[in-house]
Order: sequence, then structure tokens, then C-alpha cells
Amino acid sequence: MSKTVLSTRGLRKTYGKRDSKFDALRGIAIDIHQGESVAIIGKSGSGKSTLMHLLALLDKPSRGEITLHNHPTANLKARQLNTIRNKEFGFVFQSFFMNSNDTVLNNVILPLKIAGVGYRERRRRAISALKTVGLDDKRNNKANDLSGGQKQRVCIARAIVNDPKIIFADEPTGNLDSATGEKIIDLLFRLNQEKGITLIIVTHDHELAAKCSRQINIKDGRIVADSANETLEAENDDKEEFKDNDMDDMLDHQHPTHHINVDEEEE
Amino acid sequence: MRMLDVIYDANANLLRNKLRSFLTILAIFIGSFSIISTSAIQAGVNDFIDSQVDSYGGEGYLAVVSNDSFDALDGLQNGMGNNKTPIEYNPDKIQTGMSPLTNEQIEKIKKIDGIDGDSLAKEQTLDITYVTSEETDKKYLIAAEALPPGNVKVSLVTGKQLNLQADEYQILLEEKYVNALGYDNDNIIDKKVQLAVKDDYTHKIKTFAAKVVGVIAPSVVSMGYQYTNNKLADDIYQENIKYYPEDMKNKTYAVAVNYDYENYSADEIKDKLEEIGLSAMTVEDIIGTIKSFFDIILTVFRIFGYIALLAAAIGIINTLFMAVQERTREIGLDKALGMSSKRVFLSFSLEAIMLGFWGSVFGIILSVIIGNIANAVFHAPGGFLESFPTFHLVVYTMSDIISVTILIIIIAFLAGTLPARRAARKNPIDALRYE
Ligand SMILES: Nc1ncnc2c1ncn2[C@@H]1O[C@H](COP(=O)(O)OP(=O)(O)OP(=O)(O)O)[C@@H](O)[C@H]1O
Ligand SMILES: [Mg+2]
Repeated sequence: MSKTVLSTRGLRKTYGKRDSKFDALRGIAIDIHQGESVAIIGKSGSGKSTLMHLLALLDKPSRGEITLHNHPTANLKARQLNTIRNKEFGFVFQSFFMNSNDTVLNNVILPLKIAGVGYRERRRRAISALKTVGLDDKRNNKANDLSGGQKQRVCIARAIVNDPKIIFADEPTGNLDSATGEKIIDLLFRLNQEKGITLIIVTHDHELAAKCSRQINIKDGRIVADSANETLEAENDDKEEFKDNDMDDMLDHQHPTHHINVDEEEE
Repeated sequence: MRMLDVIYDANANLLRNKLRSFLTILAIFIGSFSIISTSAIQAGVNDFIDSQVDSYGGEGYLAVVSNDSFDALDGLQNGMGNNKTPIEYNPDKIQTGMSPLTNEQIEKIKKIDGIDGDSLAKEQTLDITYVTSEETDKKYLIAAEALPPGNVKVSLVTGKQLNLQADEYQILLEEKYVNALGYDNDNIIDKKVQLAVKDDYTHKIKTFAAKVVGVIAPSVVSMGYQYTNNKLADDIYQENIKYYPEDMKNKTYAVAVNYDYENYSADEIKDKLEEIGLSAMTVEDIIGTIKSFFDIILTVFRIFGYIALLAAAIGIINTLFMAVQERTREIGLDKALGMSSKRVFLSFSLEAIMLGFWGSVFGIILSVIIGNIANAVFHAPGGFLESFPTFHLVVYTMSDIISVTILIIIIAFLAGTLPARRAARKNPIDALRYE
């Protein structure tokens, strides 16, 4: 097996204080290896996004540690975290997160602009990223005028423009119909195959999860199944919870995502 | 992120909500306009005063007369107004036109601490009892002196300059005398006025008929003096001293001295002169009336400007809080993609600074345009500054323009720090979850 890029031990995340206190993650241990494509699956509210945010160093765990390339991340300075997110990570979000009044090109350029790349260079790289997702001809359109699938492709172009090692995608097909979703999935896996980018994908989409080299199933803030590591159960604190887990349960949950514009999970 | 990008984006963000930005800038604009205009008028007045002070002998100059002479030199009390009437001659009152300084007083002046005795210069002022004309029964006090030698041009409302060497009696009068003597500016030229001179010994009156060749424009430096040509001055002076003993023939009515203005205040020196029965005026005293007039206007202007700026600062805070709220998701995205909190703070601060910058620039531009038009209009024939060609009502100095801009930018920046801090503190996750 190749190098470990991200790993966590005893990861916990508690939201709120006192009465409204809520444990979103209750002890997560994973090792993610370079070039893997990992699907994080589970019911709504199980803590998938929370886990992804922690892995992406967008948020700090309440307890436990995250190591990146075997370096602990807890004591990194804000500046170092920003650089890592900018240079090592790419992000694709469910609801796009674009500056909708800006042009497609400017949206893709954003990470490079933040990195302080010069005007010509960043333009060249953004155009090349847009070519990769097949939207080169739309570069001067307003982002808002694109279709949902096109928007998500722009987001992928933005995610890859700074040559990341890892792409985090939170329900990248959640807002798309299945045909469009498939295109996005193909695109992500092509990047995984051709550039060796590690994919960490939070999804409800059964098809997408199945295409990944590894599936991690989360329930109530715990890992209840990890296709890559059957011995992992030993590391989970609550074994009795674990035996309740039922893969069918999870698949039931995923079923609706095969319909167009699945939105019922969002409140 | 490059600074140029941050500046560019800040401007672009302001253009996103044009109306809101425009209204915020408008408030700053009003403040900027008021403050720069105030500074410009202040600079104009100060420039003028400086030039007057220089032409009159500069700082440290003191004109000293006997206390009694103050009645005649009513230019001081009446200021520069044209509508004022000279004080009437009243033979029953002890009301000397000009009373001379004694030699003893002059020696005392020289010995006063802080006065440069060597600088003392006597001024030959004429002792004229009153002035009258054929058009009026009234008699008025008058202070007159020969126009100093050199190529002195008196600023005139009408008529022409004195011919100093002319063989006839010529005089330049202020407008208040023109009116008091029953004329107006259009018909006084070449008319004769009667200057009555009573000698101190026989109390007989001798009258000099002087031709009015011009009407003096209001000026802050005339101190209420009317000007004569040399022949008239010489003849009146000879009449004044006709019965004087020889040693009194060089008597003087006013002296000019310099005092040590770096170590003494004008008031200290004036108090010392008061003790020996003398009155003194600095150039600032002479100019005081015009200055206090402008000071009041300028204070009102300035207060207005600062109130407008205060309102503008609140406008900036409000505008940017709204912008932070609107752009919550955008800020979250920027931060998720690696933008530092400092940059987020900077970009909102820059927006505040840009609001301030554009507001102050537009305010300054408009003020300069209006100020130059005003200068031109006031100096045009009939304008209220026509007779003060050297007085530019508004003077824009680079340092004023820069300091007003910097002041407004600082105010805008400070106002912007509140919303900018809120933006910088946004957590990317919360911002991304924000609907
Ligand atoms: N900022 C927060 N404050 C309080 N509770 C939170 C916060 N963020 C998430 N939670 C809670 O943590 C739990 C896990 O949330 P998370 O977003 O990780 O779920 P998820 O698995 O991604 O669900 P979905 O599939 O609906 O996106 C939820 O119960 C949610 O209500
Ligand atoms: Mg989620």
C-alpha cells in the first residue's frame, strides 16, 4: 500500500455548549492513502460533512488528532493551514459555492489569486483547468448563467487549478440529475487516475460510492464499516453500537439519490 | 494575494451595489467638500493677511500714537465698511484730530523692554481740524498723510492716482468721506473739499481746498488715513508748525517701532505703552476685523464638515456591515480556499478606505472648481473683492488637499475596522453553512 496522506485517531467533534451540546463525531480513526478514492457514506446528520471539514483542516476537532503526511496538524499556525488548504487541497461543494456574478474564469482563478500567482500565469492555468472540464468556451460567461452540471464542472476546475494532492468533495452530485452526475463522477475519477489525486467524497449517491476504491460508513458520529479495514472495529470505542449497523439500512438511505434533483435530505 | 488584486477587488465590490456605495460616498463627499473649502478659505485669508503684514512692516511692527489720536483714526473702530460715517467735528469737545507725541514719550518708547529703539521711525501725520465741502454743513474729523514715496499705488474705486509732484492740492478720500461730504463716487472726482487747519497758538483756521482725484478702495492697511500729494502735505505741515518753537518743529504724531515678537506678546508691549499714554496697534489688530469675520464663517463651515464626516463614518459602518452580511458565503469560500483573516480584514478595510478616498477626491474636485469660479466672480467688476485684487478668497494648497484626504481616509478606515473585524472573524464552516 502507498503512503498515508491523512490519518486520524480518536477524532471527536462536539458542537454547542451545555444543554445544546451535541457530539457530531465520537471517535474516528482512519488512514487515507495516496491515490485512494474514499467515499464517506451515511445517513443525513451522521457527521459526514463534519468529518470532511476536519480532514480538510477547515475546522478543529474537539479531541483527537489529524496528521497530514505524518505531521500532526494541531499546532499548525493559521498561515500554514491556509497555505495547505490553498496548495494541497481542492474543494467541491454540494451547493457549488461560486461567486455567481463573477465570470467563470474569475471563479476558477480564485485559489491562484489568493495564492498570489501573477496575472498571466493564473489566467493560463485557469484556462487549462477549464479545458480539463470541457468548459473552456464558457470562460467569459457569468457563472450564474451556467447550468447546474456546468457549475459543478467549474467548481472542479477551481478545485484542480492549483494542482492539489487531495480533492474533498461534499456531495458533488447532490444537486444534479443522474446523467449530469455521472459526468461529474467520470471527471473526478479521471483526475484520480491520471493525476493520482486522492479523492475524499461525501455522498449519498450509491453509484458514486460504489465506484470509489473504498467506502467508509458513518453512523451517529462513528465509523460502522470501512471496506478497506475490517479490523478497524477494534479501534472504535463503542462496539455494541457497531453490531447494530446494517449495510441494508445504509443502502435504503441512498436509494432516493438516483432520482433527479434529490433535495429531500436538505432542510 | 497581491496588493493590487486586493485594491482592484475592493473597488469592484463597491461597484456591486452602486447606489449604496454612491450614497455612502455622498456623505463623505459633503464632509470633504466642507472641510477642504474651509481650509482653502482659511488659506486664502491667511495668505492675504501675510501679504498685508509683510507689506506693512511684517511681524513685530507696532504703530504707536497718542491715545487722543484714536478718535481721528476711526478706521480702526469702523473697520473697512463703506457705509460708515466719519466722526463729526465738535468744537466743544476735547477732540483733537491728531495729537503729537512728546519727545519725552518717544524717549520712553525707546527704553521699553522688548522694543527695538533703533527701529523707531517717525511718521509725519498732518493735524487737520476737520474736513467739509460746499455740499454739506457738517464737519468731520480726518486723518491724512502724504502718500509715502516710492511707486505706491493706492487701490482705487474710481478716479486716478495722486500726482505727488503736482503744483495743486490733491487728495484721495475713502468712500465714507465721499458720502459724508455730500457726494457719491460718480461725481466727486475733481471736486474740491475744504481741509480746515487750526493752529494751536492763535486758533485761527486756515482752509485748504483740495481736489479729490480718486476714491480709495476699502483696504485693511490704510488704518483710516486719507492720502495727499506732497504739496498739500507740505503746506498743511508748515501751517501746523508755524508757531512752534524750533525744537518742536520736528514733532510727530505717530511712530513705528519693531518689538521683539519672539519673546514678548503684543499685549505686554501695549500695556507698557498704555502706561505712558500711548496706544499701539499691530498689523494683526489692523486686520483683526476682517479676520474675525472670516473666522466665524469658517468655524460654522468646519463644524458642519465634521458633523457630515461623523455621519459619513456611521454610513460606512452600516454599508460595510451589510456587505459583510451579504458576502458571508463568499468570505467563507475565500477562507476555505486559503485566504487569511488578515487579508479578509484588509479587503474590507480597503473598501472603507476607497469609500473615503473617492468621497474626499470628489469633494476636493468640486470644491476646487467652485472655489476658482468664486474667485473669478468676486474679482470681476462689481464683485465684493474687486478692490482687493491680491485677495484670493480660496487658496488650495497641496498640503491641505493631502491632509484632508488622509484625515478622511483615516476616519473611513477606523469606521471600517468594525465590519472588517466581523468579516475577518468569520469561520469558513459557519460561513459555508450560511444560507
Ligand atoms: N455548527 C453546528 N452547530 C451545532 N450542530 C451542528 C453544527 N454543524 C453540524 N451540526 C450537527 O452535527 C451533526 C452532523 O452534521 P453533518 O453536517 O456532519 O451531517 P452530514 O452527515 O453531513 O449530513 P447531511 O447528509 O445531511 O449533509 C448534525 O446533527 C448537525 O445538526
Ligand atoms: Mg453534509
